[in-house]
Amino acid sequence: MNTDTDIVYLDYAATTPADPRVIDVMTPLFGTGGDFANPSSGHLAGRRAMGCVERATGQLAELLGCSETELVWTSGATESDNLAIAGAARYRADRGRHLITMPTEHKAVSDMFRTLEKQGFEVSWLNPDETGVLDAAELEAAIRPDTQLVSIMHVNNETGVIQDIEALGCICRDRDVLFHVDAAQSVGKLPLDLASLPVDLLSTTAHKVYGPKGVGALFIADRPGCHVEPLIYGGGQQGGRRPGTLAVPLIAGFGEAARIASTEMQDNRAHLQTLNDRLWEGIRDLDGVVRNGSADSTFPGILNVSIDDIEGESLLLALEPLCVATGSACNTKSQEPSSVLRALGRSDLLAQSAIRFSFGRPTTAAEVDFAIARYRDAVTRLRAIAPGRAA
Amino acid sequence: MTSDPYGAHVRELFARPDHAGDLEKATARVHIDEQGVRITLAARCGGDVIERLRFLVWGCPHLLAAAEACCREFEGRPVRALQEFSAEEIMQTLPVPREKLGRILILEDAVRSLGHSVGVGPKSGKDTD
Repeated sequence: MNTDTDIVYLDYAATTPADPRVIDVMTPLFGTGGDFANPSSGHLAGRRAMGCVERATGQLAELLGCSETELVWTSGATESDNLAIAGAARYRADRGRHLITMPTEHKAVSDMFRTLEKQGFEVSWLNPDETGVLDAAELEAAIRPDTQLVSIMHVNNETGVIQDIEALGCICRDRDVLFHVDAAQSVGKLPLDLASLPVDLLSTTAHKVYGPKGVGALFIADRPGCHVEPLIYGGGQQGGRRPGTLAVPLIAGFGEAARIASTEMQDNRAHLQTLNDRLWEGIRDLDGVVRNGSADSTFPGILNVSIDDIEGESLLLALEPLCVATGSACNTKSQEPSSVLRALGRSDLLAQSAIRFSFGRPTTAAEVDFAIARYRDAVTRLRAIAPGRAA
Repeated sequence: MTSDPYGAHVRELFARPDHAGDLEKATARVHIDEQGVRITLAARCGGDVIERLRFLVWGCPHLLAAAEACCREFEGRPVRALQEFSAEEIMQTLPVPREKLGRILILEDAVRSLGHSVGVGPKSGKDTD
């Protein structure tokens, strides 16, 4: 529990704090005396800065199991998603203009697809089953001769549901369709070996894995037909795929975060599973509480629950100082129930009551116990003052 | 904190809804279930004065706060004051975001219906018990 600020943070799917080891790597790179130079400069200082970038590229490549030349640095997962989807769709537009995704994707993906729809592309939106998982047969049936790109996220940011990207990717590869994976929630948390996985494009970001905000990466497989048109122009950095001066301190921080994740992933996952089980056991007996997403197919860092006849916004306020989410953090101003939960078949009433608890490396059992007590108290209190149950 | 969507007044009303609950032997009671919110208001009067006012609400924090503010405002006042309840006024004093005007207008309907019910007797008014 963060006693300094009197908050209990269980929103690690929104963002994580930077690991102190990451901060130690980044700090010297900002000022005089450090490797602050422009890595595109040919002089000694520039070459030193480029050395920092190359080191980080190697660290991320090792975590992902890919070649260093297959990575492009971006500003984060949103840019990576946009670059992958728009870039690939435009690059292959002369072959066909049919694209496939799901309504349960992050807005960085779904809004890009809606933009492409307005630009003359046709998009098929595939619904998951009631557990949130996409049936591979659904994807196979949806692919047409003019399909060029499929985009499916690995771990859902709201529910934690894990898609079988290997099975889905095999279908895409068999049909010569590019396969993009938004892995913002899974990189550094679940094992990934892009050398063997049938994935062509993969988006990630540093700040979900204890790195700094403002830096991400896009994996672009080195194989024929896999290319993206750039979204921005000027400078020629990164082979012109994503020009602009490289953010050396942020990239170095992401590299260190990747290195730490490589060595600590297994222990972290076991820790998250213990916390997830503890929280669910502490609230599952409440009348009308349901888990969104099957326990068998969800990432343990996320527990998403809905509860009957509770108003979501009041629940969120009653839970303070517990910091959790009602949906994706990018969408909290929306009054609409989550489209992700509606796609799972939840009613609007149940979807609007959803709370996403997400755990991280620093989360303690005491914090989870606090969350259990707070959630139970809030539900009891709100039900006591609601007509229908109390009247 | 400038980004706080509630503000200190709403937070205080939400945290201490002293008037939440029901009333036995209410002079009148109104229940409205519209547009995704549910409101029950109950009043016990002595002569022309509102002695007790209680609410039950299923809705957002602003609606809960507005209901509590309403009860604090009108207890001890003449029954006819209920007709003066203004959604616009409470939107400004709490304050409540404009996008929530609809649900505050439902509260206004409930308060004015309660005032009407109290005025004409315990078994009339909008959807009274």
